[in-house]
Amino acid sequence: MTTPIPRDIPLPLPAPEGFLEILLIVSFLIHILFVHLMVGGSLFSLVCQIRGLKSPDYEKLAYRIMQTVTVNKSLAVVMGVAPLLVINTLYAPQFYASSALIGDMWMAVIPLVTVAFLLAYAHKFWWNHFINIPELHIGIAALETGLFLFIPLIFMTNVNLMLFPEYWPQVKGFFSAMLLPNVLQRYLHFISATILFSSLFFVWWSGRKSFQDEVGFSRLRVISVRRFFYAFAFGATVFQILTGLVVFASLPPQGMSWGFTLLLMLGGLLVLPAMWWMWQNLTYPSHLLDDRVKEITTCFVCAAIIMGIARHDYRENALADHKSAIAEKTANYQAAVKDAGEQAQLTAITQESQTLVPGESAFNLNCAACHHPTLTTVGPALQEIKEIYANNPAGIAAWTKAPGKKRPDTMKMPGFSQLSDDELTAISQYLLSH
Amino acid sequence: MDFPIFHIDFIGNRMLIAVDAILHVIINHALAVGALPIIVLLELIGIRSKDLRWDNLAYRLLKIIFIITTTVGALTGVGIWFSASLINPAAIGSLIRVFFWGWFTEWVVFVTEVSLIMAYFLRWHSASKSPEAKLKHLRLGIFLAAFSWITMAIIVAILGFMMDPGNWMTKRTLLSGLFNPMYFPQLGLRTTLAMVMGSMTMICLTYLFTRHDLAFRAMVLRTISTWSSAWLAGLIIASIWYYQVIPQHMLANIPVAFATQEYASWNGRLKLILIVGLLYVSRVLWLSVKNPGKVHGAKYLVSVLLLFAMLGQFERVREFIRKPFIIGQYMYANGIRVEDYPLLQRDGILQHATYASIREITADNQVSAGREVFEQACTRCHTVNGVNSIRGQLKNMYGEKPWQSEAIAAYVENMHGARYFMPPFPGNKAELDALSVYLSSLQKRAAAFNGAQTNGIPKPDKISASTFYGTLPNLANTHGDLQ
Repeated sequence: MTTPIPRDIPLPLPAPEGFLEILLIVSFLIHILFVHLMVGGSLFSLVCQIRGLKSPDYEKLAYRIMQTVTVNKSLAVVMGVAPLLVINTLYAPQFYASSALIGDMWMAVIPLVTVAFLLAYAHKFWWNHFINIPELHIGIAALETGLFLFIPLIFMTNVNLMLFPEYWPQVKGFFSAMLLPNVLQRYLHFISATILFSSLFFVWWSGRKSFQDEVGFSRLRVISVRRFFYAFAFGATVFQILTGLVVFASLPPQGMSWGFTLLLMLGGLLVLPAMWWMWQNLTYPSHLLDDRVKEITTCFVCAAIIMGIARHDYRENALADHKSAIAEKTANYQAAVKDAGEQAQLTAITQESQTLVPGESAFNLNCAACHHPTLTTVGPALQEIKEIYANNPAGIAAWTKAPGKKRPDTMKMPGFSQLSDDELTAISQYLLSH
Repeated sequence: MDFPIFHIDFIGNRMLIAVDAILHVIINHALAVGALPIIVLLELIGIRSKDLRWDNLAYRLLKIIFIITTTVGALTGVGIWFSASLINPAAIGSLIRVFFWGWFTEWVVFVTEVSLIMAYFLRWHSASKSPEAKLKHLRLGIFLAAFSWITMAIIVAILGFMMDPGNWMTKRTLLSGLFNPMYFPQLGLRTTLAMVMGSMTMICLTYLFTRHDLAFRAMVLRTISTWSSAWLAGLIIASIWYYQVIPQHMLANIPVAFATQEYASWNGRLKLILIVGLLYVSRVLWLSVKNPGKVHGAKYLVSVLLLFAMLGQFERVREFIRKPFIIGQYMYANGIRVEDYPLLQRDGILQHATYASIREITADNQVSAGREVFEQACTRCHTVNGVNSIRGQLKNMYGEKPWQSEAIAAYVENMHGARYFMPPFPGNKAELDALSVYLSSLQKRAAAFNGAQTNGIPKPDKISASTFYGTLPNLANTHGDLQ
């Protein structure tokens, strides 16, 4: 099985490649952080709202969480534009190909995200209107969360597909691309990261001094809320490690390298102290006074940065051969283009010196499309015109200047006001004499 | 050529991008650029007069602006990227290579704009605690209005450059976009139109929100109408200025403007809508300033719709007059560079298309080869059965008479002469014949035409897998066979 090798866009990159790569990693990490907070916030708001059916304080918590989603979702979108721009620049032959191959679903991202955002607003801004119909309110929240969980799967499918051009010929639409080895594992890994980062964010958020005033719990203690989120963070970390190992084991071999493996191990090691601190917070309640949320977050953020670099490293390794083949093919093609262009220019010069009949080139440019020598095409055949206008070139010129509609079954001829009288006469004479 | 062909045969690729882009432009002009200054104005009057009704109204209007701009507005903006990269990746990919920093700057301004609208809207109530906080909040609003306008000013520079044929070949920089002759007239037209659209939209909403307080309604409507009238005067001047610049500039470069019936009729319609629309809106505003309680809400609504139609027509014509190019003198609307034509017309387009499955045309494969030529050369603008369908075009030309492939070939070969908005046919003679045979076959039956998102791409052959004719580096061999 061979791999399709397209040509690249033959224009220079707008900045050094390395610089664009750094820009991609940094802007992507910022984007993905807000995506985690958006998706996770929506998910936690739903979970808390369902719990709120029994203990009303959780419903208050759900409302507060939804307020963070409003902000984070807007940042997730705007922060996504920069990595999209860079990936369009750096990986044009791969990214455009994979996007086209899952085109329907890729385009559906726009309406799906719009609907999810509108649902999120309905969920939040009309909170009090739904007080007597919690089923409907929770239904809206569930639909919104469902969309938020599904959309990353489309992105995951696309960025996975762009990495493996050798799979492109076997892909027929989104679902076949989604079922390629490695996509669903990576998606689960992503979702556990979403739960991890959003629950850590809510641990910090509920630990702020003003939190109690904002939320106004009647019975629930802030400490239990924080332990609630810590439990999710801890569970998600365990899940994150497990899915990470599955992803690593199932990654196609072409992007593997020792550098990549070492980066992953380093990222993994950074998580261990964070897990130890989280475990202490969960088992010894007194630790929540000084719960090291900053240290824990720092560990995870560093791990995420390392993973972001590793991810890019894998992508570069996986595409290295494809990229150099593309560069070679592009260069060869450009040489062929230049060659053919020069050849065509020479032919044009020789032809020009041979064409002496006045009106011929103007006829070809303006008339030949619709008037064939013998066939009735769009307009009548030249044969017919010659019969009508025998010895009357002025008649042709006059008609052309202000054409009417003679034949009921054909199109009206357009006016040729851009042609001068001399040109029209030359054309008419040429037409009648051939 | 170099990308799998995404194709939607029902609404057509061009229509997909047009719907998204026009929706985006209307929201951007009416609700971001044009409406935010009104909100700031209403908040300011509220602070000065200490009348809470102004403040409450401003907040209700802003809430609508916030909800729409941060959902449909922002997403249709991203949607332009998505749809452009599916429909004409060669064009958008080339533009990104050149305008990267222009778009990057626009992104930075966009991030600022979104952060500001969140701060402005979400802090509205907490800012009411003290007069100092309120003034600070008002300043946020002024910054927000300014940044919304700057976003537009930058994108107009990029658009302006794309519309400036010739320069692309020599000076591929953003600055030359800023200084091209159409930039300031276009920016002037967009700014004044946005201000009138924005204030008119706010007038409609105010009409709706103040139905229980008619005295207050009259007060607010008079204020916004006065503001709107001032911008309307500017809009009339800017339209004349723009018309003065556009025709000469475009006529000098692209004969489309006067050579085709299609454009001529659009041009006429645009002028009519523009003049009638402006007269109508002027009359409504004049009545509204003089006697704001007496103007019926429907008149405001009609004015807004007329303004939206004007903007839609303006964008349509602006897009149309750049044809047959998508990037002036550099790339045709079919995504093929002008420079590539001699090679493709010599060897054939199928010889060089990475994702084609037929390379050699024989008597047996003519129809399917013709279909591939159609896919490569025509589908960026035409569908088979949907919007701007090729069957419809052929029906216009030949009606119920048999569609003869020889006649079609004779037409396609020279159509760019008669139809200035059409690019020349990019392939060789055998491909022209195959295309014509395929097109004539459409008279009897037209099977559904699906793009790569449904059909996938053909199995790679020598050409799509090779880096040079004759050599066959097999990537799968270096990686181990994955299949």
